[in-house]
Amino acid sequence: MNGQTSHQQPKDGRHDDDTALTEFLASLMDFTPTIPDELVEHYLAKSGFQCPDTRLTRLVAVATQKFIADVATDALQQCKARPAVIKDKRDKQQKEKRLILTMEDLSKALREYGVNVKHQEYFADTPSAGLDPASRDE
Amino acid sequence: MSDGGEAEGTRDKQNGSNLRSGAGDYSRAISRVAMAQICEGVGFEGFNESALDSLVDIAIRYVCELGKTSRFYANSAGRTGCNVFDIVQGLEDLGRPQGFTGASEVHTDCVVSSGAIREIKEYVDMADEVPFAQPVPQFPVIRERRMIPSFLQMGETPAFKHVPQWLPAFPDAHTYVRTPIWNERLSDPRTDKIELARQHRKAERSLLNLQQRLVCNGSSVAATSAEPCNGGNGSEVNNNGSLSLEKPLETEEIGVPGVSIPPKLYSQAQTEKQVSLLETFAPAIEAMKDGLDSGSDGEKTTPEKRDSVFLELKGGKKVFGEPLDLRIRKAVGRTASWFGREGEKDDKKRRVEFILRQSFENQQELPQL
Repeated sequence: MNGQTSHQQPKDGRHDDDTALTEFLASLMDFTPTIPDELVEHYLAKSGFQCPDTRLTRLVAVATQKFIADVATDALQQCKARPAVIKDKRDKQQKEKRLILTMEDLSKALREYGVNVKHQEYFADTPSAGLDPASRDE
Repeated sequence: MSDGGEAEGTRDKQNGSNLRSGAGDYSRAISRVAMAQICEGVGFEGFNESALDSLVDIAIRYVCELGKTSRFYANSAGRTGCNVFDIVQGLEDLGRPQGFTGASEVHTDCVVSSGAIREIKEYVDMADEVPFAQPVPQFPVIRERRMIPSFLQMGETPAFKHVPQWLPAFPDAHTYVRTPIWNERLSDPRTDKIELARQHRKAERSLLNLQQRLVCNGSSVAATSAEPCNGGNGSEVNNNGSLSLEKPLETEEIGVPGVSIPPKLYSQAQTEKQVSLLETFAPAIEAMKDGLDSGSDGEKTTPEKRDSVFLELKGGKKVFGEPLDLRIRKAVGRTASWFGREGEKDDKKRRVEFILRQSFENQQELPQL
């Protein structure tokens, strides 16, 4: 539906749009995303996406990288926010805790993006994961 | 940490086997590195395996979803190839749950001013470039397929009218033409038989040669004479027990009952009931050595030598008298006796082998005696 309507563009601003779009795509070519183009091409080809233009794969790569970076940033915020709660109970070593991406933080971050990741409780992400409830009980 | 990662990894692999195949593992490994790099860029110092795996899964899904949505929009616009507008539509669709600036004015005229694109623009301006750690080759590598050349490429014209030229050419005629199979014998049974006999003779000759050599090596006396088959000498040596290949006493006791003396011999040596072993096969050895034609010459020479032996042994044993007697008589009526003997040659050879075998066995028993 959107696709059909989006093509009904008034002729006035079309020229400006075109130049802006070309500029944007050209700027993408200068930017090297972390996700390699070949990887994106491979998965796009798998999903039936056909386009010889490398600028578009670059666009997809950048979009994906942005998405992942956003999720990771959110997870980082979660990670930074979490130790503050437990800080009182733990030793001082926990204060200088390294920032580690965990499933807990990731699932929280992803929930905002509409991805529902259930962290299985029986998975031992860390060697101390199983010991936590026991130590708390004590 | 690692436990969770491994467990989850296997689960992902099982799920992914339906979705992805072939280059799946490779592309997954690449995306793992890429995701780890992004996390590092964001500020993480480490990661759990399971979390990274989930992130990789999500990234892959994102790309696939974006491609699928873009293709959908392209298809609904009547195109097979995608363009920027399809991708922007797809981005807007994917970003819808979270919402983006300008989401309320979806039907914007300018694609560039779309919220999704604007955000990407900002990200490109803001984020620092972290290129992928290693150069990635184009994958999956599609091997160049070797096609069967068509009639046109082969420069042939199809054998039948209904076969068009662009079809792959027929294989060579010899690969499919039916040919009758004959149960053909490559070799003639007669020549086979002759060959078999020849081989048999050869084997026997080599056996006899071995026998001769053993006899010659055993006797220091025979070293001087070129004639190796001095029956008397050989038996004398054996009597001394140096070689003990066939000890006359042993042959008397054991070998003789097995040996049936040929009738001719028997008649000639009626008084002698016991025949020494060497006497039995000496003619055979000579026959093998000299052949039929030269056999008479060999016979001429041998009795002279044996005379001395005969004299030497006469007092000793009865056994040796007989064969030497026979020799002398044979020298007299040599042609008759020779041809008579020829027919018995095979039997004698067989006996020689048998006695040899027995004497070897007895050799082991000798020390006990």
